[in-house]
Amino acid sequence: MSENLVSQDAAKDLQKEMLGRYYGALSAAKETKTPVAYLFIPGNVVEITSAYGFLPVYPEINALQCGIKKVAGDLILAAEDKGYSSDVCGYVKNDIGLMLKDRQHPMGQIPKPDLLVCNYSGCNTFIKWFEALAEFYGAELFLLDIPYVRGDGVSPEDVDYVVAQLRELSAVCERISGVPSDPGRLRDLLARSRAAEDLWAKILELARSRPSPFDSYFEAVFYMAPINILRGTEDCVTYYQALLEEMERRVEERVGPVPEEKFRVIFEGPPPWPHFRAFWELFKKWGVTAVASTYSKVGGLYDQGIRHDPARPLRSIAEYTINCYTNWNWPMRSDLVKRYVDHYGADALVIHSVKSCRSFSVGQADLRERFIHELGVPTLMVESDLADPRYFQEAQLRNRIDAFFESLEHQRLVNA
Amino acid sequence: MTHVAGVDVGSTATKAVLLDGNGKIVGTGICPTGANVVRAAERVFSEACKTAGVEEYDVAYVIGTGYGRYKVPFGHAQVTEISCHAKGANALFPATRTIVDIGGQDTKAIKVSPNGDVLDFCMNDKCAAGTGRFLEAAATVLDLGLDAIGDVSLRSTAPLKITNVCTVFVESEIVSHLAKGEKVEDILGGVHNAIAGRSVALLRRVGIEDEVTFTGGVSRNAGMVHALAARLNTRINVNPMSQFVGALGAAMFSLERVRHGTAPPIAEPKENAANAHGGH
Repeated sequence: MSENLVSQDAAKDLQKEMLGRYYGALSAAKETKTPVAYLFIPGNVVEITSAYGFLPVYPEINALQCGIKKVAGDLILAAEDKGYSSDVCGYVKNDIGLMLKDRQHPMGQIPKPDLLVCNYSGCNTFIKWFEALAEFYGAELFLLDIPYVRGDGVSPEDVDYVVAQLRELSAVCERISGVPSDPGRLRDLLARSRAAEDLWAKILELARSRPSPFDSYFEAVFYMAPINILRGTEDCVTYYQALLEEMERRVEERVGPVPEEKFRVIFEGPPPWPHFRAFWELFKKWGVTAVASTYSKVGGLYDQGIRHDPARPLRSIAEYTINCYTNWNWPMRSDLVKRYVDHYGADALVIHSVKSCRSFSVGQADLRERFIHELGVPTLMVESDLADPRYFQEAQLRNRIDAFFESLEHQRLVNA
Repeated sequence: MTHVAGVDVGSTATKAVLLDGNGKIVGTGICPTGANVVRAAERVFSEACKTAGVEEYDVAYVIGTGYGRYKVPFGHAQVTEISCHAKGANALFPATRTIVDIGGQDTKAIKVSPNGDVLDFCMNDKCAAGTGRFLEAAATVLDLGLDAIGDVSLRSTAPLKITNVCTVFVESEIVSHLAKGEKVEDILGGVHNAIAGRSVALLRRVGIEDEVTFTGGVSRNAGMVHALAARLNTRINVNPMSQFVGALGAAMFSLERVRHGTAPPIAEPKENAANAHGGH
C-alpha cells in the first residue's frame, strides 16, 4: 500500500456499530411497543416525530442498503410482478418488494408504520409511494405540502405556510403516540441536530485541502448516513466529532482516497448502489477524487448555512425542509454546482444521471450544456440507475469515463 | 524500418491498421468480431501484416481500441475509440472539427480541436436506435443485404416518416408499411432519415462546426451520407478508410509513443492500480 493512502478508518467502524443499534431498535419496536414513523430523507421533519417518541424508518435508506447488499434486483422484480412499470423509481419498487416479502431486510426486520409523514420536497413520486404504503398497512398518512423554491428564494409566507402544517402534524403525533407535547424535548433534539450539522459542514469544508482527505462523493455518501438516519441523537454528534478528528488527522498527514490525486471533480446525481464499488474503481483508476457532490447534500444543505435551531424550533424546521437540494429550482442548483467548482478547485464536473429518478435527472442535460459551453468546465455525463442493477452497463460506462479522463490528461500534457 | 499498429475491436467488426515508420498506411485487416474477440484481434492483425509483407514480430508497438481493447493480447496499451476516432479523422481530414461515428451499436458525436484532441463527446445511451443495428434490423425485414439498402434508399422520392425509435419495434413498423403497399425505397428513405435525425440531435449536444467527418462502419452507406448531409445542410467528409478510422487513430498513437520514447502522449493508467484503499 502506498504511504499516502488511508489505511485505518475508525469512523466507519463506529458508524457500523451505531447503525447496528438503530436497526436493532427497529427490529425490537413491536416488542418494545415503540410507535414507528416512516419518513423520507430529503427535508424530513424527524425532530417533530422523535419529540413524540416515534422511531424513524427511512424507506429510501432501506432501499439503498438493499442495493449495496445486492438484494435489490429480486425485490424490484417482485414489485414489477405486481404491475409496477419498469419506468417507476427503483427505490419505490425495492420498497414495495420489501413490503411484499414481509419487510425482511438484510439489516433486520423493518417494523410496520403507525404514521407516514410525506414531505415530498422536490420529489412528487414520494406521494404515490407513501399512499401505496398507507393503503397496504392501513396506517395514517400525513402529507406536508412543501412549496417549491421559485424565483430568488424562500419567502416568509412559504415558511408560515409550512409552520402551520407542522403544528397540525404535532397534534397528529400526540394523538397517535399518546405522548404529550414537550417543547423542551423538541429543543434538545434540535440542539443535537445542530451540533452534528456544524461538525458535518466543517468536515465537508476539509475537501478544499490538496489532496482532499476523503472522497466527497464515494466516501461522503457513507459519512452522511448518521446525519440522515440518526439526526437529533447523541450518537450522531459523537460520530461527527470522531469523523472530524479523523479527517483533520488525514489533512495533517496529507493522505487521501487515491494514491495520487490527479483530478478533482464535482459529482452530481445519486450513485449506482448495486455497483457502487465497480463504479468507484472506474474513477479511482484515473486518480479521481470528488471534492464536492450534490447527492451528499440531499439530507440537508448544511454547507450552505442551513441549520436547525432550538431558538426557532418550527421556523428552522420549515426552512430546512423547504431548502432541500431537489426542492431548489434549477438555476439555484446549477449555481450551487458552479460555487462548488470554484470553492473546491475542481477540474471537471461528472453527472451520474439516474434513469428512474426524474427529480434528480430532469435538467441535467441543461447543466451539462451550461458547464461546457458557458463556463468552460469539462463535463462528463453517464447514466445508469440508483437501485436497478439492470441499467448498469460497465463496458459503456468505462468507455465514457476512460475517454473523458484520457482527453483531460492529454490536454494537460499538451498545455504543459 | 519500424512498424506500428492499431487494432479496433468494435461490437460488430474488428479492424487493424499497420503504419510504417513514416506514418504511411501499409496494411489493413477486417473481420466480423463474433464471439471470440481475441481470435478476431489476432486475425485482423496478421491480415494487416500479410498485406504489408511485414513479419508480426517486426511491429514495435500496438494499441488496442474499441470495446474489446483490453482483449487484444499483443496490445501494448489501450486508448478509447473516442480519442482514436478524433486522431484518425484528423489524419484523413485535417480541418475536421466535428465527427459523427456510427458503428454497430454506438453512435458518437465528437468535437475536436485543430490538433485532433477531443474537446467534448456524446454517445447514445443503452439503446441501439440510430446505430448500425437499426439499419441491420431494417435490412433483415426487407430481405436485403446491409450493403444494398443505402443505394436503394437513394431512389426514394417520398421518404416515409418512421416514428419508432426502437430497433426492435421498427421491424413491425416496416412490416405494417409493407402491408400497406408502400415502396421499399420510401421505407428505407424513412429509416435513413430517422437515424440521421437521431445522430444530428447527438451532434447538436457537442455543437456542430465545419468540417464534419463521418466515420465508422455505417459511413460506407451512401444513403446515410446523403441523409446526414441533407439534415445538416453541409458537406460531409467520407473516405474509403472511414471504417478504419478508429484503428488508424490507434496506430497513430502507437507511432507517437514510439517516437516519444519514454514519454507517451497519453499515459495509460494500469487497471486496478489504485485499488489499495480497503476502506469499505
